[in-house]
Amino acid sequence: MSELLVPFAYDYMVKAIWVSALVGGTCAFLSAYLMLKGWSLMGDALGHSIVPGVAGAYLLKLPYAAGAFFAGILAALGMTLVRTHTRLREDAVIGIVFTAFFAAGLLLVSINPASVSIQSIALGNILGISDDDAFQVVIISVVTLAVLLAKWKDLMLLFFDESQARAVGLRTTALKVLFFALLSATTVAALQTVGACLVIAMVVTPGATAYLLTDRFGRLLAVSVAIGVSTSALGAYVSYFLDGATGGVMVVLQTLVFLAAFIFAPRHGLLAGRRKARAAAEVASP
Amino acid sequence: MTDIPGTLWTLVATPLSYGFMQRALLVAVLTGAVCAVLSCYLVLKGWSLMGDAVSHAVLPGIVLAVVLGLPLAVGAFAAGVFCAVATGYLKDHSRVKEDTVMGIVFSGMFGLGLVLFTKIETDQHLLHVLFGNMLGVTDRDLIETAVVAGLTLAIILARRRDLLLYCFDPRHARAVGLRVEWLHYGLLVLLSLTIVASLKAVGVILVVAMLVAPGATAYLLTRRFERMLMVAAGVAIGSSVLGTLASFHINGATGPCIVLIQAALFALALLRDQLMRRRALA
Repeated sequence: MSELLVPFAYDYMVKAIWVSALVGGTCAFLSAYLMLKGWSLMGDALGHSIVPGVAGAYLLKLPYAAGAFFAGILAALGMTLVRTHTRLREDAVIGIVFTAFFAAGLLLVSINPASVSIQSIALGNILGISDDDAFQVVIISVVTLAVLLAKWKDLMLLFFDESQARAVGLRTTALKVLFFALLSATTVAALQTVGACLVIAMVVTPGATAYLLTDRFGRLLAVSVAIGVSTSALGAYVSYFLDGATGGVMVVLQTLVFLAAFIFAPRHGLLAGRRKARAAAEVASP
Repeated sequence: MTDIPGTLWTLVATPLSYGFMQRALLVAVLTGAVCAVLSCYLVLKGWSLMGDAVSHAVLPGIVLAVVLGLPLAVGAFAAGVFCAVATGYLKDHSRVKEDTVMGIVFSGMFGLGLVLFTKIETDQHLLHVLFGNMLGVTDRDLIETAVVAGLTLAIILARRRDLLLYCFDPRHARAVGLRVEWLHYGLLVLLSLTIVASLKAVGVILVVAMLVAPGATAYLLTRRFERMLMVAAGVAIGSSVLGTLASFHINGATGPCIVLIQAALFALALLRDQLMRRRALA
């Protein structure tokens, strides 16, 4: 029994667990919106696009979040620019821009391997996070959560029914910009816990799971955040026993929760669907 | 320094005097060519995300292949197809959108691959699988890559018209009697094979770039499909050669250099497209 408590004896583990939980909760909050809009690719793209900013910031000894923001904004501008000027499909445009940014980041790291390891950028390194970086992650998450709590209803209206949102006097463009700013801020935070390659899971899976479990948006947000917080904290804890792969463990846990919801969800699950079909068949053939 | 052709020649010849650079160049060209041809179909079909998904999803397959002593290609291939089939199944049986389901499946598989990697002793380096190891390519790797790439290219080129019809207009393809489901899964199989072929050169993370950029560039430059295939292949092969040589001189990673040159060529094609259109309007 006491073996299970060992991780809590280490400061770095305690820090990793609560920082992960905070980031996981923030990502999960946003995931509810992303999932509704079908913007999963956007989350993936942002996660990769900020890598050159992070690499550059470590190189110049700047706060990593500043570099990440800068790169994220550049990538978003690049995507908008290319999209408005071609007949190419949107997914191809996003694909080209984010991979080019990611490649630029990898090249920067490969030329200057001393400043930061490629592994911690691509796969996260929450167990070895410095106090300085942890501080940035916490600030980002707290500010994002505060803004989301203040604006969640406006954002909900915007995403469900944009013309209605405009009709009641919401400034829709400003809200959209706000949402993307929050999204990039969260990907910057998530980069530290799960790394660039797995950010997409953090900003998609909890929301989709909650979507299978409830029909009311307020409850969906609560369920999603609960899943995000618990899987992230548990993931960090379990990774102590696995000697690493923290991001991988978190994402596997989230996927397992999703699969459980997919099968067992009371109304929208696979089994519920089978039951319904059987009941319908019995009614049809008495 | 006035001898410009001579300088250029040394820039090319110095790297190529090393055996490992020759092999790197060959493997880069092979990978670039096969990715480019497939990218034309992916761009037309709107499957760029599919390339992203399948390439990440092969990771657990690679680890399991090492455990079971199978060729890496077999594991990667099985995992890639599993990702595509699982995505289709989950989408058909729940109310979650397709792109969301795909994100969940491939990130879950990638995460699983990472966890398996830490727990299982392998002779593979994680970073080599993720980012390729072009400068460490052996003769055997080269032969394996050539076989897989050649096979994939041959299949695509043999069925290029059927695949094209399927990408452009699946309903029409069905109407003229093509087996659309076979083409659908055939394209997925080809995608997995291509990713397997690219493993040594660029790894599973950057291959998505090579699966999008050449096709998109060619799409901007020509409106005829046969020509698009050739332009894409030309763009990719040129980028592979230039990128490999450039990485030698700046002492940077090879895969990212190739991807960046492809992106630069895309930007040039975009610029040309804009200028042409402006001229047409004026």
